[in-house]
Amino acid sequence: MGFDLSFALSTVPTILGAIGTTLLVALISCLGAAGIGFGFEMLRRSGGLSGYAVRFLIDFIRATPVLAWLYFLYFVLPFYGIRLGALTVGILGLSVYFSGYLAEVFKAGIDAIPKGQSEASRAVGLSRIDTIIFIIAPQMLRNIAAPLGNYFVSILKATPYLAVLAVPEMLGQAFDIASDTYRYAEPLTVAGILFLLLALAISQAVKRVETRLLGSNRR
Amino acid sequence: MREQSPDMATEISGLNKWYGSFHVLKDIDLTVAAGSRIVICGPSGSGKSTLIRCINGLETYQGGSIALGGVKLGDNAKETTLARRDTGMVFQSFNLFPHLTVLSNCTLALRRVLKMSRRQAEDIALHYLEKVRIPEQAKKYPAQLSGGQQQRVAIARALCLSPRLMLFDEPTSALDPEMIKEVLDVMVSLASEGMTMLCVTHEMGFAREVADQVIFMDQGRIVEQARPDIFFGAPSHARAQQFLEKILH
Ligand SMILES: Nc1ncnc2c1ncn2[C@@H]1O[C@H](COP(=O)(O)OP(=O)(O)OP(=O)(O)O)[C@@H](O)[C@H]1O
Ligand SMILES: [Mg+2]
Repeated sequence: MGFDLSFALSTVPTILGAIGTTLLVALISCLGAAGIGFGFEMLRRSGGLSGYAVRFLIDFIRATPVLAWLYFLYFVLPFYGIRLGALTVGILGLSVYFSGYLAEVFKAGIDAIPKGQSEASRAVGLSRIDTIIFIIAPQMLRNIAAPLGNYFVSILKATPYLAVLAVPEMLGQAFDIASDTYRYAEPLTVAGILFLLLALAISQAVKRVETRLLGSNRR
Repeated sequence: MREQSPDMATEISGLNKWYGSFHVLKDIDLTVAAGSRIVICGPSGSGKSTLIRCINGLETYQGGSIALGGVKLGDNAKETTLARRDTGMVFQSFNLFPHLTVLSNCTLALRRVLKMSRRQAEDIALHYLEKVRIPEQAKKYPAQLSGGQQQRVAIARALCLSPRLMLFDEPTSALDPEMIKEVLDVMVSLASEGMTMLCVTHEMGFAREVADQVIFMDQGRIVEQARPDIFFGAPSHARAQQFLEKILH
């Protein structure tokens, strides 16, 4: 039984139909992970008790498998009366899990900014928040565009974990077809190619943003 | 431009600062009268930068007091912030914001702190960029400018907020020799317009020309304070003599 091209093509619409879910999960998880990770890093920098707590939390997150987060949020939280939908849990789980890594990336990006930048910002009277928004964050993003893009691709590649919650993302759909038809090669190949294309598109987009950032920021 | 009146003086009295157990500023008393121009010199590590960083709040201190225009720093958070807004700072390493154009470097604080409209802020910024003789570079990024040009932008950025006191920390010592003059020229014309200036520099020609007081610091103390003709003619302190000999070759 060889690779049946016409069967493969016939699976494309179903699998492609799930691309919306995959992209939605990936996109919101990227934003969520970046937001939580940046918040973690700011708290860590502020020192004090919350700084220590966040330090511990980041280490804890990085030491747990992503599946553990998904199971915990989906099966354990309802036990405490918090019932979330599968899609929400999936997005939340990926966001929390990757926020631990992104916090480290943000840290490196901020550490690379000369101390004189925040001093000059304070000297012209900008508030702490304005200094973060207008001085630190833009320079940080320029410093970390490449690793940040890599993590966004990693988040995309982690979306199939949501299959354990029966969220209809691309790989899950492919697997459903496979178990219905007992033909694995075709649907899984199609899903693989679609993931590859998405990942390439994201890396290209990141590269563009990176050159634009660097282009206007020559030091 | 705001009027300079005597009560706008900066008063530093009994200032003491420690870094851990290291006593970096010792009993500093200094009055910077409105309109005066004071040059601070002294060997490396004597506390010159630390002193002016205390004045604009980049460093904390443990003893004594600093009052800007009658407002004692630290008494009231809101007043302190407002008083600090009256000081402009120029750093040795320029510290321009590399991701913003020259114009945006100058307008950012006007827009965010003083809540001005873009047009209003740009008008003010261009006015000061003209003053430092660099208006044609407004759309460029800092990295596209020479060191001397960058430092002049940094001066314009500080001037935009109409400070009553300008603080300079070795503004020319990171510059190539051929660029020092263009920056000093701008500072001389600022002085001639009556700006109050406190300037750490080893440019003794500048000190002779514009300073009405020269301060010599050593090991955290103000060792000597005198008019430039007296300071350069016959410094009374041995450490100052040695320092001058070294610096004037
Ligand atoms: N953050 C800090 N922690 C500990 N010690 C410091 C710190 N900053 C400065 N110092 C020390 O305080 C002393 C005074 O430093 P400061 O920078 O004020 O000297 P300076 O007179 O400006 O010297 P220079 O001419 O080299 O700029 C130095 O001995 C320096 O090592
Ligand atoms: Mg210094």
